[in-house]
Amino acid sequence: MSKVVEISPTTRHEGHSKLVLKVNDQGIIETGNWLSITPVRGVERLAVGKTMEQVPKIASRVCGICPIAHTLAGVEAMEASIKCEIPRDAHLLRVILQCANRLHSHALHNILTLPDMYIPGTDTKINPFTPEEPVRTVAKRIQRIREIAQTIGEIAGGEAIHPSNPRVGGMYKACSPQAKTKMYDLAKEGLVLAHAHMDFMIAVLRNYQKRDWAEVGGKQIKIPKDLGYHDQGYMATHPVYGSSSLDECPTWDPSRFKESRPWDWYMGESEITLEDPTYPVGGTTKMGTKANPQMEACTGVPCYDGAPVEVGPRARLVKFKNFDEKGTIGQQVARQLEYPDCLTAMISALDEYNPNGKVVADYIPQGDGSMGWAANEAPRGTDVHLAKVKDGKVLWYSMLVPTTWNFATCSAALTGAPWQLAEVVVRGYDPCVSCATHMIVIDEDNRIVAQKLIE
Amino acid sequence: MLYPEIVIAGCGNPLFADDGFGPAVVEELQKLTLPDNVKVVDAGLGGPHFVFTLLDPEVTKKLVIIDIADFGAEPGSITKLRVEDLPPGSYRDAHSWDLTEPLHRIKDEVDITVIGCQPKIVTDPDMEIGLSDEVLDAIPKTVRIVLETIGVDYGTTIKRLQEDRQRGTAKSSGSTETS
Repeated sequence: MSKVVEISPTTRHEGHSKLVLKVNDQGIIETGNWLSITPVRGVERLAVGKTMEQVPKIASRVCGICPIAHTLAGVEAMEASIKCEIPRDAHLLRVILQCANRLHSHALHNILTLPDMYIPGTDTKINPFTPEEPVRTVAKRIQRIREIAQTIGEIAGGEAIHPSNPRVGGMYKACSPQAKTKMYDLAKEGLVLAHAHMDFMIAVLRNYQKRDWAEVGGKQIKIPKDLGYHDQGYMATHPVYGSSSLDECPTWDPSRFKESRPWDWYMGESEITLEDPTYPVGGTTKMGTKANPQMEACTGVPCYDGAPVEVGPRARLVKFKNFDEKGTIGQQVARQLEYPDCLTAMISALDEYNPNGKVVADYIPQGDGSMGWAANEAPRGTDVHLAKVKDGKVLWYSMLVPTTWNFATCSAALTGAPWQLAEVVVRGYDPCVSCATHMIVIDEDNRIVAQKLIE
Repeated sequence: MLYPEIVIAGCGNPLFADDGFGPAVVEELQKLTLPDNVKVVDAGLGGPHFVFTLLDPEVTKKLVIIDIADFGAEPGSITKLRVEDLPPGSYRDAHSWDLTEPLHRIKDEVDITVIGCQPKIVTDPDMEIGLSDEVLDAIPKTVRIVLETIGVDYGTTIKRLQEDRQRGTAKSSGSTETS
């Protein structure tokens, strides 16, 4: 007889989400629903009528972690709509910024997932904040990697948090030869740390994979060998940067995308029939409470070629580097493998960058209202912004952010896992829920049928 | 880039009306020429994630945080808070990256001042751009308080700034500019 358990809110990631899980007598998940419960926020509506310079700045404010990815995707969606090609050196600065963003974001994610992992050879879970070795050295290395990444981001992007340098048509300012040297020095220091850190993280992850059990709320939970497996396929547009043209990258075609409604996808109303007060932190939802994922989900379900897909580090590695490991640990390993890639890509961009080069296009068209899109490979996956610009003003704007893609895919990946480990699977996706909220629903004829469902 | 001796961070989200107060004050401060040992950051929503990584415990001595705070006063009122006044948060959930806990951790090494402004409207979860008049009028006062806190005498320029601001929003001029 199936029972329903709910974990709300899920912890150690960004934003508000919850898990509603239908489990069998052994506590194994039969149907998993992972959904955003952050309310609809309406950035698309706000963008209409604003200038094409303003909108990427607005878009960058939807999230506290990924302002860089949203700025770049926003600016490039505008450029794609007005058909403006930017100078090579401006593009290189954006690549540097992109790599810096990915580097500090992955390092932050390590802090969030390490508490699930064990110090190899022991039954002690890792507390990243402990002053004791060996964890202290690792925490300090993570800190230094983030420092390096944020500093490079500040030099290339103008500001460390909300980048001010990218603009429609290129970048406002070029970086001086001194700034280039400084970034170069930092990147070289970062590369050494990144290799060491990747090795450490992979060792810890492989150790978890070899374990038979993990401790959750004082109980030993068996770790299945296929934790987090799914058959949903992957989507990525570029190993490092992204794409805004079908000629350049045929892997993302907006016409193959369709968003379905959450009420076609999630479970209907059900009553919570299983409760565990020892589950960290503060126990699961009380028995007898009603859960209704269909109505509570704050995102649509984006489908590519009719099915949800996975985006993120593993998707990039599968599509471009022949990586083929499935499951949560495979996904985490893929993320660690991107550490050195961020820095080598950054170093090649710096090598090519000419501080005396032009960074703004000579001519910036004002747009004729045609549709443009940009897919940016953000740390968490493909971040697509779509825009129509006419006479310098935005007519229509839409954002399709990485975690939205992963909600349905991860829900499928939960099947077969013990419910106590559901959050470990969720965290593997490095979810960033606050900006994932997005509710434009398109029907069979590609018409927008619902902007908002919930009261 | 590690931060210098004095760091001023404006926090908040301009997409939620008065929540944009912190970044708006930062914008004003960035127009001024401040000493080299001062860094002004628009922390946006990323304060807890990004500000602490760049504090250099050897160098940074003073941290000024500008944000909205609900302390039950008239909209646009300003208050100065010490870290002791903030309730301690804890590292546990989605909002675990709350600002208070790391502040409590570093308060013995860094002198922390929180400048809070009473908001009129915060539109979360709906997005709305633009500060209310009351909060807009509090910006010059806040700039003065920040400069006082970090010991910078900016002479008459700030007065000018204030007058410009009042000319800009004529209908509410003279209402809150008393201190």
